[in-house]
Amino acid sequence: MASYLVRRLIGVIPVLFMVSLMVFALTQLAPGDPVSMLVSDEASPEDRQKIVEAWGLDRPAPVQYLSFLKNAVLGDFGSSFRYREPVMDLVLARLPASIELAVYATLLAVIIGIPLGVLSAARPNSLLDNAGSLVGFFGVSMPNFWFGILLILVFAGVFNVLPSGGREPWGMDLPSITGFLTIDALIQGRFDVLWTALRHLALPAIVLGTSMTGIIMQLTRATVAEALREDYVMTARAKGLSERLVLWRHAFRNALVAVVTIIGLEFGALISGAIIVETVFSWPGIGMLLIQSITFRDYPLIVGLVLIYTTLFVLVNVAIDILYTIIDPRIRMK
Amino acid sequence: MSAATLGFRHRFNYLLAPKVVFGIAVIALLIAAAIFAPWIAPHDPARQDLMRAMTAPQWGGPHLLGTDHVGRDLLSRIIYGSRISLAIGVAVVLVSGAVGIFLGVISGYFGGRTDSLIQKMLEVFWAFPPLLLAIAIVAFLGQGLGIIIIALASQRWIPYCRLARAEAMALRDREFVVAARSLGASPARILTRHILPNIVPSMVVVGTFAMATAIISEASLSFLGLGVPPTIPTWGSMLADSRAYISTSWWMALFPGLAIFITVLAINLVGDALRSHFDPKLKNI
Amino acid sequence: MSNSRILMGAAVAALLAAAPPAQAEEMTRERIAVGITETIAGYNPYADAVVLIGSLWCKVYGCITRFDFEEGRMVPSLAESMEAVGERVWEVKLRSDWVRHNGDPVVAEDVVHSIERSRSDPDSMRQFVVVSIESAEAVDERTVRITTKEPDATLPDNLSLLPITSKRLYDEYGQAADRNHPHGAGPYRLVEVSVGNHMILERVDDHPMVSPTNPRQIMYRIMAEPEQRVTALSNGEIQIAQGVPPQLVARVDGLPNAHAAFANSVEMMFLAMNPSTHPWDVKEARQAAAHAINREAIVAALLGGRATLLDGPVGEGQFGYEPGYTTPYNYDPERGRALLEEAGLSGVEIDFYTPVGRYTADRQIAEAMVPMLEDVGFKVNLRTPEWATLWADVQAGGVPFYYMGRGQMLDPSRALRQYFETDSSPRLDYSNPEVDRLLQAERRTFDVDERLDTMREAMRLITEDAPAHFLWLHQMAWGVADGIDFTPRPADRVDGWDIHIRKN
Repeated sequence: MASYLVRRLIGVIPVLFMVSLMVFALTQLAPGDPVSMLVSDEASPEDRQKIVEAWGLDRPAPVQYLSFLKNAVLGDFGSSFRYREPVMDLVLARLPASIELAVYATLLAVIIGIPLGVLSAARPNSLLDNAGSLVGFFGVSMPNFWFGILLILVFAGVFNVLPSGGREPWGMDLPSITGFLTIDALIQGRFDVLWTALRHLALPAIVLGTSMTGIIMQLTRATVAEALREDYVMTARAKGLSERLVLWRHAFRNALVAVVTIIGLEFGALISGAIIVETVFSWPGIGMLLIQSITFRDYPLIVGLVLIYTTLFVLVNVAIDILYTIIDPRIRMK
Repeated sequence: MSAATLGFRHRFNYLLAPKVVFGIAVIALLIAAAIFAPWIAPHDPARQDLMRAMTAPQWGGPHLLGTDHVGRDLLSRIIYGSRISLAIGVAVVLVSGAVGIFLGVISGYFGGRTDSLIQKMLEVFWAFPPLLLAIAIVAFLGQGLGIIIIALASQRWIPYCRLARAEAMALRDREFVVAARSLGASPARILTRHILPNIVPSMVVVGTFAMATAIISEASLSFLGLGVPPTIPTWGSMLADSRAYISTSWWMALFPGLAIFITVLAINLVGDALRSHFDPKLKNI
Repeated sequence: MSNSRILMGAAVAALLAAAPPAQAEEMTRERIAVGITETIAGYNPYADAVVLIGSLWCKVYGCITRFDFEEGRMVPSLAESMEAVGERVWEVKLRSDWVRHNGDPVVAEDVVHSIERSRSDPDSMRQFVVVSIESAEAVDERTVRITTKEPDATLPDNLSLLPITSKRLYDEYGQAADRNHPHGAGPYRLVEVSVGNHMILERVDDHPMVSPTNPRQIMYRIMAEPEQRVTALSNGEIQIAQGVPPQLVARVDGLPNAHAAFANSVEMMFLAMNPSTHPWDVKEARQAAAHAINREAIVAALLGGRATLLDGPVGEGQFGYEPGYTTPYNYDPERGRALLEEAGLSGVEIDFYTPVGRYTADRQIAEAMVPMLEDVGFKVNLRTPEWATLWADVQAGGVPFYYMGRGQMLDPSRALRQYFETDSSPRLDYSNPEVDRLLQAERRTFDVDERLDTMREAMRLITEDAPAHFLWLHQMAWGVADGIDFTPRPADRVDGWDIHIRKN
């Protein structure tokens, strides 16, 4: 296992190399350029040329890439064209917000989706099963912005019980330790801040959680139903184990491999930024940063962001792989 | 009653369950609507009437489901929209499903180097920001329905692959697989006869959800000039249009959303039945 | 209702049961929050190309001039006076009562330094502001002499976009001065910048431009979603909301605690028809397109009536506006059809480009124009490329026919030159020697009345020749809480000294 871990973690290097190369190539293929996007409409050709040179965009693409690579190896991803700040500072300032939101959304989806799925599998075609499926499919058929704006209108507008967006109110002075507001608040015993942070998290997490709940529930339902037909479940039943024990200990455990996989994938998608939800709720995560970096052709920021969230995705995948071996000891990572 | 007819009943009587009948009927209706759109649609889907922009739905009125921001008839646009949306939804699910499942079972069953290579490739593909990818594709490959399907499928095979891999890993050391292997079955045979049928249920789930998201995401790519021209109606583009008018014209979002909902639901009902068809445990009775 | 929604509902209800009202940021006499649409870059006052943010830096550091919306012209701001003392020479005298927030005086060397930094700072996006300046020198402590390369009547306009930073602080701390010592001489001091999120300014109590009713602190908060801005206004999270879209104006007006207020933008919306491409090389085709557009119907249906139709490049309140002049291109599809037929171009295929989400209802408007253009005989392919692609293409002259806006037109001189003077940019590739002559003359004319006449003549000529069809100026709707007095200004200005908090 340890050697597997080491190999997977070393394996991230070629992945990052390929990703950087291909994303860099994509930025070169995409029409449009940062200078025309960022420099004033009224700048003279000479001034533009000066900026092109200052940003090193006059060099041939391979030279640009190699110089990026050289600096990146030393931990320097350059400065954002748009924000004039080091890429790493920008990304790290926003990453905790994205991860925190992703964690709460995933928690919500898991807490609701898994029990609902298991119970639906145990009683197929019951009211619970049918209603759960309907909601799940409705959730995925309506775009996230629809549900998000609806929640803002109802809970921030009509009832005025939750904030309309943002991550924290003006003037909340809490020294940052981890960057995760709820954890920082807990560490420092600031329950007022914790409460406020949770209130800001509520609506965006519900929107993201709902769309995730559907697929987790359906997948749990399908795989548990499958497991319930297996011989060993029959055997367990024959041994006189209670139905509850059979369902959760045997059938669900068997379904877990698939469920954990999908949770990992969905969580992975969220840490790369929930773009629509971040926009609707002005959540300061990396999704909005990525969209802006692409619209402005902010090459260093695009590449930096992609490398960071690829690293996180690989880590999530490794963690899921390890979980497999714990869930099902027959699985071994070679 | 012979064993054969018993097997037949078991294998095909699911088609008669009311839910399945309903699912099949809805799918048939949707396909019919797509084919016969010009005869069914009450209006020309492109015809604008600024004086009647954002008319609310009215039973018995000229616009049953209301009109959009430039006064086009929503019902007619949903009917016409089914053409592109269904084609894209189905094609993307089939292409990405085929690629993802193939790579996934291989990755999971063989493990080792094969697995490591496929997983690395997956991680690289996953990293592409879809927007950037789309912009580059438009510039490089131009536009067209085929290209939008490739663009959408280029990342959607990933969930199938990860899931098929996970399940294949869990299955490869199960008794029946080990038994088949010891009897000298070739890997190809084990994969198609023993692994694949067992992963159908979860693939059906991923497929139905992927279909809905593919239909919705088509819009954002079409706006970039990747797919169909922006004047041709699709369910995804209708939803995208509705964004600015959610609190003022609720019908603009709700009805195209319901169209996707009904489609996904029907496909799921049939898919649910299909997977009992593939269930090896039921087949062996 | 469904299970998972019920569970969600229960979770939310539980959360809410104990919740206090959400007005964590309820307005006090002290501070207000403004919901804005565009993003905020870092601390460098020369590095942001966004108009609203640019004007905020003038508020912190002070700029030589500012546009006085009451008087409709540029007035000295950080300067006591700014006068042309020769054809190419200007003299700027600084005021003595604006001091930096750390007590330093503003000196002539600061102006020279700021011009230089605007030009050569590697992060600067504002070189265009000083492009016409040949040299600047400090005559004495408070006097700067600026020499331009050519006679330039628009220099006061340009200098309204140049924040005057401290030479001493820059010499001492370099670029870090922007972040750690942002001591301007403006009426508000910088408290905090959170890149891409918000910016907080604080009133300088003894500054000559502020009064006690101005808010003590202002937070500019980015909120991209219009529904969110309006909701935040309704529940008191913000007091001013930028960019209320036409369809939400009625909702804002219906709020018990806020109302909608309007300002004409100074951004002309127009249809560009590049005369070096076919069929736009044929004047009749351009005229047919102009006659095809039913502007009244579009403004009524898609802009809620909130736009001022244009009869030329500028509207009332902008420099060069000509009362009484009406465009020859009213809505007249018959005439359009006849013109196109005359030119033998009926059925000609055209590609029509529009940005998406950059201007109010841009794509929707372009969509509505398609059947209108087809009605007079064009065959239209609507194209909606992503903005960066489109913009690069427009700037390179690769887009024959597009719907677009051009902002920063309080004084239209720079914009007219850019679009309509021969060889000044390929985006329209228009060439008309008579227009060239008039525009060049206008820039060299210091007598305001004479300059006005020349400018008007040029604009009439352009309008009639129709390389562009001038459509309208949007009326930008703002949401304003009832407790404050704020009259929105053109060009997205939200200046603290314009905002007054009412005493109860």
